[in-house]
Amino acid sequence: MISQAAVARLRDMLGTKNVLSEPEDLLTLGYDSTPELSGQPDVAVYPPDLDGILTAIEIARDEGLPIVPRGSGTGLSGGSVPVSGGMVLCLNRMNRILEIDEANLTATVEPGVITLDLFNAVAEKGLFYPPDPGSQKISTLGGNVMENAGGLRGLKYGVTRDYVMALQCVLPDGSVVNTGGKSVKDVAGYAFKDLLVGSEGTLGIISEITVSLIPPPQTRKTLLAYFDTMPKAGEAVARIIAAKIIPSTLEIMDQATIGCVEEFAGIGLPLDMAALLLIEVDGHPAVVEEEAAAVHKVLQQVGAAEIKLAGNADEAASLAAARRTALSALARKSPTTLLEDATVPRSMLAETFTEIERLTDKYRLTVGTFGHAGDGNIHPTVLCDERDRDQMQRAHAFYDELYEKVLAWGGTVSGEHGIGVAKRDYLARQIGPAGIAVMRRIKDSFDPRRMLNPGKVIAEK
Amino acid sequence: MTDIDKSNFAPGDAPTYESVLQCMRCGFCLPTCPTFALTGRERSSPRGRVALARAVHDGKLTFSEALKEESFFCLDCRACTTACPSGVKAGEVMEVCRSQAQQFFPGGHLSQKFRSFVLERMLPDPDALEKSMLPNRLYQRLGIQWLVRHSHILKLGPDWMEKAEGMMPKIGEPLRQQLPEITPARGEKRGRVAFFLGCVMSLMYGEVSRQTVRVLAYQGFDVLTPKATKCCGAPHLAEGDRETSRQLALHNLELFLKEDVDAIVTDCAGCGASLKEYEELLEGLVPHEKLEKFRAKIRDVQEFLAEAGLRSEGLKPVNTSVTYHEPCHLCHAQGVSKQPRDLIKAIPGVEFREMNESSWCCGSAATWGLKFTEESQQVLDRKLNNIKATDADHLVTANPGCHLQLAWGLKQAGIKQDVLHLMELLGQATPE
Ligand SMILES: Cc1cc2nc3c(=O)[nH]c(=O)nc-3n(C[C@H](O)[C@H](O)[C@H](O)COP(=O)(O)OP(=O)(O)OC[C@H]3O[C@@H](n4cnc5c(N)ncnc54)[C@H](O)[C@@H]3O)c2cc1C
Ligand code: SF4
Ligand code: SF4
Repeated sequence: MISQAAVARLRDMLGTKNVLSEPEDLLTLGYDSTPELSGQPDVAVYPPDLDGILTAIEIARDEGLPIVPRGSGTGLSGGSVPVSGGMVLCLNRMNRILEIDEANLTATVEPGVITLDLFNAVAEKGLFYPPDPGSQKISTLGGNVMENAGGLRGLKYGVTRDYVMALQCVLPDGSVVNTGGKSVKDVAGYAFKDLLVGSEGTLGIISEITVSLIPPPQTRKTLLAYFDTMPKAGEAVARIIAAKIIPSTLEIMDQATIGCVEEFAGIGLPLDMAALLLIEVDGHPAVVEEEAAAVHKVLQQVGAAEIKLAGNADEAASLAAARRTALSALARKSPTTLLEDATVPRSMLAETFTEIERLTDKYRLTVGTFGHAGDGNIHPTVLCDERDRDQMQRAHAFYDELYEKVLAWGGTVSGEHGIGVAKRDYLARQIGPAGIAVMRRIKDSFDPRRMLNPGKVIAEK
Repeated sequence: MTDIDKSNFAPGDAPTYESVLQCMRCGFCLPTCPTFALTGRERSSPRGRVALARAVHDGKLTFSEALKEESFFCLDCRACTTACPSGVKAGEVMEVCRSQAQQFFPGGHLSQKFRSFVLERMLPDPDALEKSMLPNRLYQRLGIQWLVRHSHILKLGPDWMEKAEGMMPKIGEPLRQQLPEITPARGEKRGRVAFFLGCVMSLMYGEVSRQTVRVLAYQGFDVLTPKATKCCGAPHLAEGDRETSRQLALHNLELFLKEDVDAIVTDCAGCGASLKEYEELLEGLVPHEKLEKFRAKIRDVQEFLAEAGLRSEGLKPVNTSVTYHEPCHLCHAQGVSKQPRDLIKAIPGVEFREMNESSWCCGSAATWGLKFTEESQQVLDRKLNNIKATDADHLVTANPGCHLQLAWGLKQAGIKQDVLHLMELLGQATPE
């Protein structure tokens, strides 16, 4: 519990509109996009700047409150859910783009900047910021950095980590660390910045981010391929990669997902196809031609039921936009959408899809599967109803068994959504007790009092 | 399964549990919500509002003043409905919550009386309404001043009166008195439609609806305008009086279903949305087939003409440039977005210039613009900048609420563009 005096002190120092404590505010800051998870903070603080963050930390420390950083709450593992109460530190109003440095190809932003806003701002200057999570219209850069978010272009261009050049980070003791810089090469000391990326708000609060930018590709071509089975589509992905072609985008959707996306977006996707691959190649026009032709050939060899070329840039953009709504569109079909983030070596994709089909039958569930197939990162999503206990148990059993296989194949329990609260058990399974112990030592060296986002990634002992 | 007993909603109209459970909290709706853009406050976002309603259902929250505030702070612009891939309708959830607000916070005896006078006596009775308009002081007479003061949120900006006065267009004879029951088709006849004349259109924008009827006739349709039409019920929904709204809906439904027409057409986006939603409002009170039959006939005039195909022979060129503001109740509530653009482009001589964020609300939203004058101004300013940037001669729109707000805003800001209803523009091209 927070004292009235502390709330008053916060209000005094940060302004009334930046400190919320009404039950309606607390309730709506107790969730992110993870199903079945919510908490209730004691107070919510919107720091306007670095000083505001320092003030908030100081008061939280005096009050012995845990601090839970929050961007837009689109996380899918519960990272910003205040499971043990405390202070939710909302960074979404710190949303200024501070600098676009065209000489060094970097952009420096506050953590609350929306991913797509940064993309658009640099595009206006003829530059390109590639990371593009499905949530790009909503998620913040701070959240992206803390989850090391991937996206539709991850296959060719990599994930958020590959673009973070410098971070300003506030540690729970109130010290401010600057790590990295605009120099392209930097091996001065421990790779502190890389450790912070993907740390899910458990090591420090990010107050400023510098990312690198690249020139945009000259042209792109978008292909759509339909298959009569999911494993066949998985096979096609493996063969494209094995043919040494790296498209910028290689996304998959199964029939259930295609149906829901079509119902929402109405862009004319066929409803009778078992699987769809959305493939984009980009770069120099000559290379694009060549690669598109090579992809086309592989698709034919594997036996795609139909292969289509997007007519123009608008059509390609609307396909990508539709793909981004896959998860939310699946939610049309059921009150609860329980999704996973399994990632396997790409040669194992076809097996993975076969396994998903087997488990779907075994546990009598409805599952929609989509994902970044080119990365081997797929999101089998159980369509269920959290009010139905038995069904929920079967859903969790489904994932337990699936992950057993995924780990046996050398895969991982999270490709991009992080561990948060939802996947802690799976993480322990993947890295074992020694792995957990070393993570705990890292956590303790940053946050000995365990104030920052306690219970995330590794359970509190 | 759900424990209905836990719900803290009052009996009667309440959001269904399914309608709030469907939200998976992805946040796709956040960037489209004007009130979230204003405050950055989660509870003033669609996702937050649905979560609040769910918490009341789950017995975790009582229907508090803050919830009442949210239900009226929501513009009911439905931008979130368009954005939501899961099919959640946060605006409608809040609209239903307004009637809960009436139950939980009914206000004093006098307030109640006055409120029912306006909503239950004046608005449902076209004769009384028209008489009240004669002194040309709509806001005071209609009691909107009172509504604003007494019904809700109460932190009134002092400027609202001035704004209301400033917004008033010149008021002529109510159109309802003047329009013939039947306006015959011109040229080769293509069909027969009923025209649903809205209260505000009849009283404040008579000239617009006169053009609508003339255009429809020129396009080859017999236009029937039933004099017994009553208010569509939208103002009642907006104020949380769903009961009166249902009575009005029943009246209009019977009245229009009697007529043998191809379509029931309106030029007021608010009325159109409301008529299309009679199906949900009257579910259970009227046989479903009847509701479906009615729903299938309702068309916004822009939608109708685009579907029928504009007969362009004989149209006079209108040499001008226009941009188009999409009324929320047309694009978001009715999904009519492409058709008005197609019509504009089909008028000879007109140059169409797309504006940025054309479907972002203008900040009018029934009485919202008067209750939240400061916030409304911020929403409006964003719109005005986008309009100005097009440098078009005219701003075209298709709803009286937007028309009032935008005309006022443009004048205040000294921007040269003037506002036209799309049917006025088409009227200019249509020979007498
Ligand atoms: C429809 C949908 C599609 C998605 N698609 C993808 C996808 O394609 N790829 C992908 O990788 N993810 C995806 N996600 C997941 C999610 O959008 C990402 O994890 C995103 O990066 C979270 O950003 P956020 O601003 O919402 O952060 P939040 O959810 O608010 O927070 C995420 C984590 O970061 C911490 N945090 C936030 N800001 C700070 C800060 N300034 N300092 C310290 N810690 C902070 C929080 O404590 C939390 O642990 C998707 C989610 C949805 C709902
Ligand atoms: S209302 Fe729709 S778009 Fe908004 S969070 Fe819920 S599911 Fe997502
Ligand atoms: S209806 Fe409009 S104001 Fe209301 S929640 Fe939806 S987007 Fe926001």
